[in-house]
Amino acid sequence: MTGTAVACKAAGAACILAGSIGLGILRAAQERRRIAYLREILLIVRRMQDEIVYGKHTLPEICLILADCAGPLYRGCFRAIYDLAGQEGGVSLPCLWEEQIMLVQEDAPLSGEEKEFLLHLPNCLGLREEKQQAKSIGRCEEYAFTSCRRAEEAYGNKKKVIFSVSVLAGLLLTVLLL
Amino acid sequence: MDGEDIVHMFPERMRDRWMWAAAYADTLQEIRLRVGKPAAALVDGREYFVGADGRLADMPSALPAVTAQETEEILAHLCQYSVYAFADEIRQGFLTIRGGHRVGMAGQVVLEDDGRVRNIKYVRYLNVRIAHEIIGVSDAFLPRLYDGAGGLYNTLLISPPGCGKTTMLRDLIRNVSDGNVCGKGMNVAVVDERSEIAGSYLGVAQNNVGIRTDVLDSCPKREGMMMLIRSMSPQVLAVDELGGEEDLRALRAASGCGCRLLATVHGGPQEGSGYKNNMRDIISSGLFERYMLLRRVDRHCEVEGIYDGNGCRL
Repeated sequence: MTGTAVACKAAGAACILAGSIGLGILRAAQERRRIAYLREILLIVRRMQDEIVYGKHTLPEICLILADCAGPLYRGCFRAIYDLAGQEGGVSLPCLWEEQIMLVQEDAPLSGEEKEFLLHLPNCLGLREEKQQAKSIGRCEEYAFTSCRRAEEAYGNKKKVIFSVSVLAGLLLTVLLL
Repeated sequence: MDGEDIVHMFPERMRDRWMWAAAYADTLQEIRLRVGKPAAALVDGREYFVGADGRLADMPSALPAVTAQETEEILAHLCQYSVYAFADEIRQGFLTIRGGHRVGMAGQVVLEDDGRVRNIKYVRYLNVRIAHEIIGVSDAFLPRLYDGAGGLYNTLLISPPGCGKTTMLRDLIRNVSDGNVCGKGMNVAVVDERSEIAGSYLGVAQNNVGIRTDVLDSCPKREGMMMLIRSMSPQVLAVDELGGEEDLRALRAASGCGCRLLATVHGGPQEGSGYKNNMRDIISSGLFERYMLLRRVDRHCEVEGIYDGNGCRL
């Protein structure tokens, strides 16, 4: 085997290793994004509860407040819901909500269940007393809180496992190819 | 009036059926929805029934009935899918919506332990009363309501329900607030307990009540009058539908603070017994210097007469 061939093999092995480590980093980043989404959902639901109980704001008004104070992931979609709902001949609010939340969550690294829970939140609305209404949304808050806490707790271990697996996979692939 | 407002009262999937309402916006008075019965509309004093395709018919036979799901959907839509935010209004049996229109509702009432109304569940009857602003309706009567030196007399508008008291009061408020040939513009404060005068929607007056007018919406008259006097220092205080002794006491206090008064009261001379008790109290209080009586002739409202504090026709 010539020196050039060895160098090529070494470079190939390095590339495979780098690629698998990169994949590992990507997977870990996805997990971080998932946590960011869950944290934002949790803040949104808590803010909604506060605005319902203390301000007795309607859903479009809450969207306007969230357009200013929600995190960057959901801010734009709440602005869009508020603007479109206020337009002459605007479509029905639950449809509009579903449409916009679906758009923003399209590529979000959330599980199907986690996506659905903010998506169908207007279905919880309809109670005629603000405290009961906030309580009803509270069930979503509990779920978001639990998901978020679990994801945060698991993140450290998950990250180590993802890196180890990706490095090992890279090594295995290198050995096999060599 | 913007007829689109009327069409947009309905959820999107029902709008095709109500498109006709935009064309009749000026003459449409009421839309009545009763579960199990065909939808009805009162147009220029005449009752029609609404077909599935939005055509108006004279007879209700063979027309589709309104469903419970439809009334619930309309209510949710009117409340912007946030019924909790309108709980106080629902408790009183009505909502004011964009455009100043009022939606009355009936169904099964849920009571508190002390007998007060907590809620209306199963809202199965809706009555949409279309607000009609008539700008300039009070112009001709202004000279008799001012003292000649720009001062406004305390004025009470009296009529049975449906004779245009609130419409007249609204236009008087606009005239007094903007200023007119008889007097300069004045700061007017309105206690709009049932959102009928200004037709406020999300706190903003939907009707033209003048440029110097402050509106306290959905507030009981008694508290509202004193709140406005303390906080907004009005020159004129306007209230609709005076009721019992408490309202009269609040009016006396307002008058004592130097405010001029514009008010309305249900009533009118009753055969045999003169005036109803509360009317007698109001008149004998001597608070008002002008009384404007309104009445309905055929399908039109008109001013029957204007009287001074001594009961002399002007």
